[in-house]
Amino acid sequence: MSVDSTVQDPKQDTATAEDAKWKPKILAFTCNWCTYAGADLAGLNRMKYPADVRLLRVPCSGRVNPQFVLHAFLKGCDGVLVCGCHPGDCHYATGNYFTRRRMLLYRRFLEYFGIEPERFMVKWISGSEAGKFRDTVIEASEAVNKLGPNYKYREEGR
Amino acid sequence: MASTQDIQSAIRARAGKLLQKEVISCFIGWEAGRFEGQSSPLVVRSAADAQKLIYNDYCVQLLAKYLLTENCSEGKVGVAVRGCESRGINLALKDGQLQRENLHLVGIACQGVKDFSTKEELKKCQECTHRNPIIYDDLIGSEVTDGPRVEDTFAEVIELEALSHDERYEYWSAVFTRCIRCKACRDVCPGCTCNECFTDQAAMGWQGKQSSLAENANYGITRMFHSGERCIECGECERVCPARLPLMQINRKVLKDAYDIFGEYVVGIDDCTPNPLDTYLLEDVEEFM
Ligand code: SF4
Ligand code: SF4
Repeated sequence: MSVDSTVQDPKQDTATAEDAKWKPKILAFTCNWCTYAGADLAGLNRMKYPADVRLLRVPCSGRVNPQFVLHAFLKGCDGVLVCGCHPGDCHYATGNYFTRRRMLLYRRFLEYFGIEPERFMVKWISGSEAGKFRDTVIEASEAVNKLGPNYKYREEGR
Repeated sequence: MASTQDIQSAIRARAGKLLQKEVISCFIGWEAGRFEGQSSPLVVRSAADAQKLIYNDYCVQLLAKYLLTENCSEGKVGVAVRGCESRGINLALKDGQLQRENLHLVGIACQGVKDFSTKEELKKCQECTHRNPIIYDDLIGSEVTDGPRVEDTFAEVIELEALSHDERYEYWSAVFTRCIRCKACRDVCPGCTCNECFTDQAAMGWQGKQSSLAENANYGITRMFHSGERCIECGECERVCPARLPLMQINRKVLKDAYDIFGEYVVGIDDCTPNPLDTYLLEDVEEFM
C-alpha cells in the first residue's frame, strides 16, 4: 500500500489551525493565605492582566506536590506558576521554607528534561501585593506567549 | 585483602554461628543461581542452610532492600553489608524504616563486583565512593582503599546540561520511549520504601496505564524525584533496567543540583543528618523574590 504524500495529514492541519487560535493556558497554584488574597485584591482594584491564568487555590505552597506541576504540563498547560507567602510569613510557620528547597531543585530538574524554565515560575506574593500579582501574571503570560504552546511530554501529543 | 573465597567461608561460619546461638532469626546473603556467575539474594533461617550462602565477584544484588521487603520481623536479622548496603541501611534507619537494635551487620570490604559476561567491573562499582561498610557489627577481613575509579561522575550530567532545551527534550523522549514501565528500578531502590507507590495508584490519577511517552516520562521523572536527593548512588536501578535506560544520568542531576545549592553531603553516611528536602535554613538560596 502506498501513501500519497500530497495528501496532508488532517491532524497536522487542525494543529496549525489551533496554533493560530492558541492562547496560553497557565495554571497558578496560589496559597490561600496570601497570593489568593493578593489576587482578590487585584480584582477589587480592577487591575488589568491577561486572562491566560487559571488560579487553583491551595492551603499552602507546601501543598504543591511537584507532580502537580508535571501533570499540568502533561495535561496541556503551557505554563505553571507556584505562588506562596514570603519566607517568614507562612500561615503554618514553615511550609514555604520546604517549598523553596523543593522547587529550587524541581525547576532545575524539569529544565534538564527540556521544559523551558520560563514556563515554570515560583513567586512569593503577599496578600497586599496585588500589583506584584498582576506583574507576575503579565510576565508569565508574555514569556509563554513568546515560547508558544507546550507540546513537550504532552498527553495527546501534537 | 581477603579473597572472595575467604569472605564466603567467613560469611557461612558467622551466619551459622549467629543462627545456632539464636542471636538472629535469619540471615540475608546470596546464593548461587542456576547458571555459572549468577547469584540471587537468599534468606537463611537455620545454621545448616548457612552453607548455601556464597560470595564471589558476581554477587551484584544490593541486600539493603531485602531487609525492607522480606518478612523477617520475628527478631534480629543478620545481613551481609558492603559499602552500598551500609549506606542503604543508614538511609532506612534515618527514615524510620528499620531499627538498629534489630540488625546484626556482617561487614565486607568490597572490591567491586563484575559482569559475568564481560568479566569487567560494573559501572556502579567503578563510580562507587564507599567500598568499606560505614556501619557494621563485625568486619570480615580488613578495610580496602576507598574512592571512585572514575574521575568525574557528574560528567554525563554536565554534558547534557550544555545542550539546548529542545535537544535535551529529544534526548529524553528517545530514552523514555524505550521504558517498558516494569518498575524494576523502583523495586530495587533502597530509597523507595512506600507501601503503596504512586505508580500503583491508577485510580487516583497519579499514573495512567497507557503506554505513551507522557506516562513514561511521568513515571521516570517522578520516581527519581521521589528518591531524589536521597539517592545513595548504588546504581541498582540502572543495573536492573531491562531497557538499559541511563537512569544514573537522571539521579545524578538531582544530586549535583542539591550539592550546588545545599552544599555537599553523602547520603547514608550516618543515620541522623536530615535529608536536604526534609529540612530548611532561613538563609537558603532565594530565587523566588
Ligand atoms: S535511585 Fe537508583 S542509584 Fe539511587 S538509591 Fe535508588 S536504586 Fe540506588
Ligand atoms: S527498570 Fe527501566 S524499563 Fe523498567 S520501569 Fe525502570 S526505567 Fe522503565
